[in-house]
Amino acid sequence: MPREIITLQVGQCGNQIGMEFWKQLCLEHGISKDGILEDFATQGGDRKDVFFYQADDQHYIPRALLIDLEPRVINGIQNSDYRNLYNHENIFVSDHGGGAGNNWASGYDQGQHVEEEIMDMIDREADGSDSLEGFVLCHSIAGGTGSGMGSYLLETLNDRYSKKLVQTYSVFPNQMETSDVVVQPYNSLLTLKRLTLNADCVVVLDNTALNRIAVERLHLSNPTFAQTNSLVSTVMSASTTTLRYPGYMNNDLVGLLASLIPTPRCHFLMTGYTPLTVERQANVIRKTTVLDVMRRLLQAKNIMVSSYARTKEASQAKYISILNIIQGEVDPTQVHESLQRIRERKLVNFIEWGPASIQVALSRKSPYVQTAHRVSGLMLASHTSIRHLFSKTLSQYEKLRKKQAFIDAYRKFPMFADNDLSEFDESRDIIESLVDEYKACESPDYIKWGMKDPNNMTTGESSATGSLDPNQ
Amino acid sequence: MNQTTVANFEKPIGCYSPSVQELIVIDDVLSAMVGIEGRYVLIKTVRGKNDDISFLVDPSMDLALQELAKRIFPLCKSFLLIDQFVESRSQFQNGLVNHAFSAALRALLLDYQAMVAQLEHQFRLGRLSLQGLWFYCQPMMRSMQALSTLIQKASVSNICGSAVLNLLQSQAKAMAGDNAVRLMLEKMTQCASSAYMSILERWVYEGVIDDPYGEFFIAEDKSLQKESLTQDYEAKYWRQRYSLKDGIPSFLANIAGTILTTGKYLNVMRECGHNVQVPPSENSKLMSFGSNHHYLECIKAAYNFASSELLNLIKEKYDLTGRLKSIKHYLLLDQGDFLVHFMDIARDELAKKPDEVSVEKLQSLLDLALRTTAAAADPFHEGLTCVVEKSSLLRRLGTFNDLEASQRSSSDNDLEETVSITGLETFALSYKVHWPLSIVLSRKALTKYQLIFRFLFHCKHVDRQLCGAWQVHQGVRALNTRGTAISRSSLLCRSMLKFINSLLHYLTFEVVEPNWHVMYNRLQSANSIDEVIQHHDFFLDKCLRECLLLLPELLKKVERLKSMCLQYSAATQWLISSSCIDLGKSEEPIDSVGLNKAKRKSGQVLKSTTRNVAVTDSVLKFEKEFNTELQSLGSILNNNSQAEPYLAHLAQWILGVKNEQNGL
Repeated sequence: MPREIITLQVGQCGNQIGMEFWKQLCLEHGISKDGILEDFATQGGDRKDVFFYQADDQHYIPRALLIDLEPRVINGIQNSDYRNLYNHENIFVSDHGGGAGNNWASGYDQGQHVEEEIMDMIDREADGSDSLEGFVLCHSIAGGTGSGMGSYLLETLNDRYSKKLVQTYSVFPNQMETSDVVVQPYNSLLTLKRLTLNADCVVVLDNTALNRIAVERLHLSNPTFAQTNSLVSTVMSASTTTLRYPGYMNNDLVGLLASLIPTPRCHFLMTGYTPLTVERQANVIRKTTVLDVMRRLLQAKNIMVSSYARTKEASQAKYISILNIIQGEVDPTQVHESLQRIRERKLVNFIEWGPASIQVALSRKSPYVQTAHRVSGLMLASHTSIRHLFSKTLSQYEKLRKKQAFIDAYRKFPMFADNDLSEFDESRDIIESLVDEYKACESPDYIKWGMKDPNNMTTGESSATGSLDPNQ
Repeated sequence: MNQTTVANFEKPIGCYSPSVQELIVIDDVLSAMVGIEGRYVLIKTVRGKNDDISFLVDPSMDLALQELAKRIFPLCKSFLLIDQFVESRSQFQNGLVNHAFSAALRALLLDYQAMVAQLEHQFRLGRLSLQGLWFYCQPMMRSMQALSTLIQKASVSNICGSAVLNLLQSQAKAMAGDNAVRLMLEKMTQCASSAYMSILERWVYEGVIDDPYGEFFIAEDKSLQKESLTQDYEAKYWRQRYSLKDGIPSFLANIAGTILTTGKYLNVMRECGHNVQVPPSENSKLMSFGSNHHYLECIKAAYNFASSELLNLIKEKYDLTGRLKSIKHYLLLDQGDFLVHFMDIARDELAKKPDEVSVEKLQSLLDLALRTTAAAADPFHEGLTCVVEKSSLLRRLGTFNDLEASQRSSSDNDLEETVSITGLETFALSYKVHWPLSIVLSRKALTKYQLIFRFLFHCKHVDRQLCGAWQVHQGVRALNTRGTAISRSSLLCRSMLKFINSLLHYLTFEVVEPNWHVMYNRLQSANSIDEVIQHHDFFLDKCLRECLLLLPELLKKVERLKSMCLQYSAATQWLISSSCIDLGKSEEPIDSVGLNKAKRKSGQVLKSTTRNVAVTDSVLKFEKEFNTELQSLGSILNNNSQAEPYLAHLAQWILGVKNEQNGL
């Protein structure tokens, strides 16, 4: 059972989207709510073992850890139809059950305290796999548990499993409206630092965009969490299809990510999916050809990252890499034609400092899930406009920070004790340099960006925090 | 009256009165008509020449009678000749056609003799004059004459089998003006060919050659065994086990090929243990080959039956499409997850030199990989075996038979084997194919699959190594790499990954998959196994060509680029850790993750700077070489894209859209 992937779902949001993800995987692989293979699921050729393992009694059990500091969501899962799906030893709910109070520092601190217990669970899962490929973390970056404890877990995983990949599905908060979590910019910034430094790949799921898609594309006036979460689970399951339904390429996570991620830090991916439907919505049947799907994937309205971030300075924004995972009945000769058309119409603006093109992976569709459309597609892309999301976070942070607002809540915890706010500054610097790097990617001579100052090799040396100094 | 003539036989016939003479002559001529010498009609044969027969009459005979008698002599001569021919051709070694022909002639002669007997009877009754005899002989004359010329031709060249049939037919055609003769000859042809037709019948209906005298036009080479198909590169069994000989009867000449394949297909089915016979129907008897061409329809019907039956057998019972799909999963990597696992577990074994690699070990690792991945669901994966070849892919292609000679000459000299060749360069998969699928999946077809596999496999290997290099870069993201060799290096890594991914993408989604799709659809509508073979071979040849495997010049460029990628990824660990020392710590070997926690030591500035310069230099050197080579590959691709349009696709993949944008 090679190349297994362990999923960690942390916090309220992480567990909710994780739950949806597992529901979707079960549907696609013909696994019942109890983890037993359905009678109709006889067609082979899929790889269940990447995400599941089989218990002694043939139950399929997700390689998943459910972690939260407050019991509400996890209790909900344990009372749902899927209560028998998970391994109960893999569920961690904090003893006091008080949560992290939307405070990153609290989540981080509690993570530190329960490290041993959680790492035991992770080690057990890791030992249960033949050749672990890596970890997937589902969380949100705005709250307390997913962001704070998630951050701590990212650091620990990086330390303990340095050779393994870490991919995250990170839900970014809605930046357009005022949030009920006032310290959201603090939490986001501190988490972003870990996402930059400790993850190999971050799939950005922008709540603003998810809501917009739900309203505009699916015509839901007041999208519920369940509905936006089903969008997320669609993306998550689609982005893992090449691992679960092996094809010519991208059969392992490292191959999938390596072709998408250009430099170690520019590992934030945005996604698009078409045609979109949510549960219980009457399917609008439309023509789906490879060209239709690919063209729609390039439209801003189908992209699950805020559109304001994509229109501003749109002329400069460029794709660094694109992978389209096309599922369904596809005539392979159409792929080339479609790419040709997209090229001729100049629908994609690629970076100029290196060869770039749309990569396509054709993948089977689950035979057990009926859809009204023949072809569906997921785009995973590295796009420079993602930096606007980070800039926005930075500017919101600066506003709060200037007022020293709500800082006290953080000072209570060891990391910020004695008014040591250097963690904030450090995070800010790293995000700023990340924004700079993405911005530099837009210029044709990015390749020289890293080398433009021949003296910086020595100047870097003199800096006290050289390794993290963005001001070289 | 008879008494008198017998008593006076010494006397010249002139002694008798003309009326007596006439009676004597009639008697003699009647004898001569069945080949018996009379008193005054003598039969002379030239010694050694059976066909040189002359009749002599007593010169004292009444001239009028002489004349009449001489007119009848050719008939007598024909009889004698035919009789001789019948005798000589009835011997067993002359073959079935001759036997049948002789039998027909004998029947004819019997009729003739019966006629003579009746004439004699009339003569005894005193009702036959010589004029009358002449009159009654008339209808026989022409037929016997025609036959005798025919058999003379036949005995001169001593022909047998189909040649006899051809002669009969052409003679019948030549006699088209004389209805009676033509009909008689056609009847002869039909009789003579009936034996031949039953040979034919057994062949096209049962696939059996029942031909004791070697007259049939299809030969069987029993020395070719069906098992040889899995070894024999030329697929001799399929192509030469049954073959056409010379001497195809002219009436079958147009359809000989169909006849050959019909029986061949029936034979294949019998070899599979299916005793298939073309179901007999009312009209299926292969009797006449007159103008109605009935036999042609019968043969067509038999062919259609045999080919659809065989195709069904191979498609349904032996599941050809299932096998082909299975081979596609493994040899064309359409389901590549097993390969990921296999390369993980067989990494050490494959890194050895080809002659040190243990094939048995690889085989068990392969089995393990197959069992634990999606391949487990495929019942056909058991046919997969490992091969470690002796030479590199380039070298192997050099000796590949189909490679055009013109393109070889230039490249042969620098195909020198690198010393560092490992199992990775020579590893191939093979697939056990059994009869009768070996007809389609012949040795040659499998070899082509293997060539494509080896190319894909090595590309995958390069891809993996680069992914490894990418991961090494990922390990240092905690450092601020801006302004160091690392960021440059990660971009180079990206370019290389982009190259190998594009190449793989082209090979799979542009070449293998669409072509397979086309072939698959064609196979669904194929009507015979030969069509299947043809489509399958076409697919393989097209893939080989479009995979650049027939273009050594390009392939060598690609191989060079791949080896640069490998060199670079091998050097990455060193490159990155060296430059990390500058950024991070200096004592312990680099554990990339711990770097952000490391505190830097001062006083090493000078040392690390020089090292960093060295690292930067080597990254730049890699980058320069790689880009130069890539550009030159690009220009070759573009230059050749006129002749080989698919190369333009590859160029677009490898070079991306960048060029186009710059061109604006």
